[in-house]
Amino acid sequence: MSDMSAMDGQNIKILVIVPAFNEEKSISKVIRSLYESGHNVDMVVVDDGSYDNTSKVAEKNGVKVLKLPYNLGIGGAVQTGYLYAKENNYDIAIQLDGDGQHDPAYIGDLIAPLLSGRADMVIGSRYVKKTGYTSKLSRRIGMLFFSGLITLLTGNPIKDTTSGFRAVNRNILEYFADNYPEVDVLVRLHKKKFKVMEIPVEMKERQGGTSSITPLRSVYYMIKVSIVLLINSIRSGALS
Amino acid sequence: MIINIYLLSIAFSVIFLLIVVELVRKNKLSEKYSLLWILFGFAILILSISPVFIEKISALIDIKYAPSVLFVFGLLFLIVYSLQITIVLSKQSKRIIRLTQEITLIKGKIEEDRLRNSKNKVISKEEQADNEAV
Repeated sequence: MSDMSAMDGQNIKILVIVPAFNEEKSISKVIRSLYESGHNVDMVVVDDGSYDNTSKVAEKNGVKVLKLPYNLGIGGAVQTGYLYAKENNYDIAIQLDGDGQHDPAYIGDLIAPLLSGRADMVIGSRYVKKTGYTSKLSRRIGMLFFSGLITLLTGNPIKDTTSGFRAVNRNILEYFADNYPEVDVLVRLHKKKFKVMEIPVEMKERQGGTSSITPLRSVYYMIKVSIVLLINSIRSGALS
Repeated sequence: MIINIYLLSIAFSVIFLLIVVELVRKNKLSEKYSLLWILFGFAILILSISPVFIEKISALIDIKYAPSVLFVFGLLFLIVYSLQITIVLSKQSKRIIRLTQEITLIKGKIEEDRLRNSKNKVISKEEQADNEAV
């Protein structure tokens, strides 16, 4: 139990990783809302090779910025944040998108299960219960499909499989720093016997900039994920 | 006519081999990958010099039209080699990503140190000014 009290104390280091690609319009708002949420956390913005002034705007707001020389994509950018968290001995890392759709007010809810040891990763989910977020039918169908697939493969009924709003403890943080599974995170974590849980959060419409999601990319993404998940389940089947 | 195409193939294989050797000599192609191409060049050369060889193979695996043997094996070779190349490519892109991340972290660290140093300088200057005032 002495471990638990140490975890509850102030000496626990928390890092909020904010991946941002061309988010100069929304990044200030994200940073300010994090300050206003009053959580005792550090923040690092990972500028994924933006063409605009994302880095400058973030630096002006007094935030640590890691500026990638070119666009690595969301996975590579977020992993840079996890590497930073690992090297600087953070106990908890939280992913928060730079476009403003994630509300930092939920950080407390997100890390509570980590502090109590009930989970290794907590996902902020749009779909656990009725929230303000509405999405297109096509997107909902995709979500349902992935949710079903993940439930089938892991036995964990995760609803929002693509949410980029999540918190992880030191063990997963180290794992992500070394190999960040972009597509099949949930399946890999399940195999590593990590506990993953979902909590409801409200997501806002993006605050500026443009979404990277297009219909064609969605189809490509769905096919990619399905193939990766299938290949992995074959591999695990052969091993067990 | 048949002489022409065989002569052409021989000429092609010889030039191809010379190019591969030259590329290795100029360090534009690593020895590791040159080996396969050299073998490939010699294979074409041998096939060009003795067409009987192809005919024997085609008879052996029951291909009626002898030149098809070339197409089949040529195609197979290209497919397998492209797969090999994408394997190498995947490994390299992984390494490039990691390298990019490490450099970004180091640059961030340097920037942090620079900021801390300039702050310290400002503070020590202020201290100096205070001391002088006293």
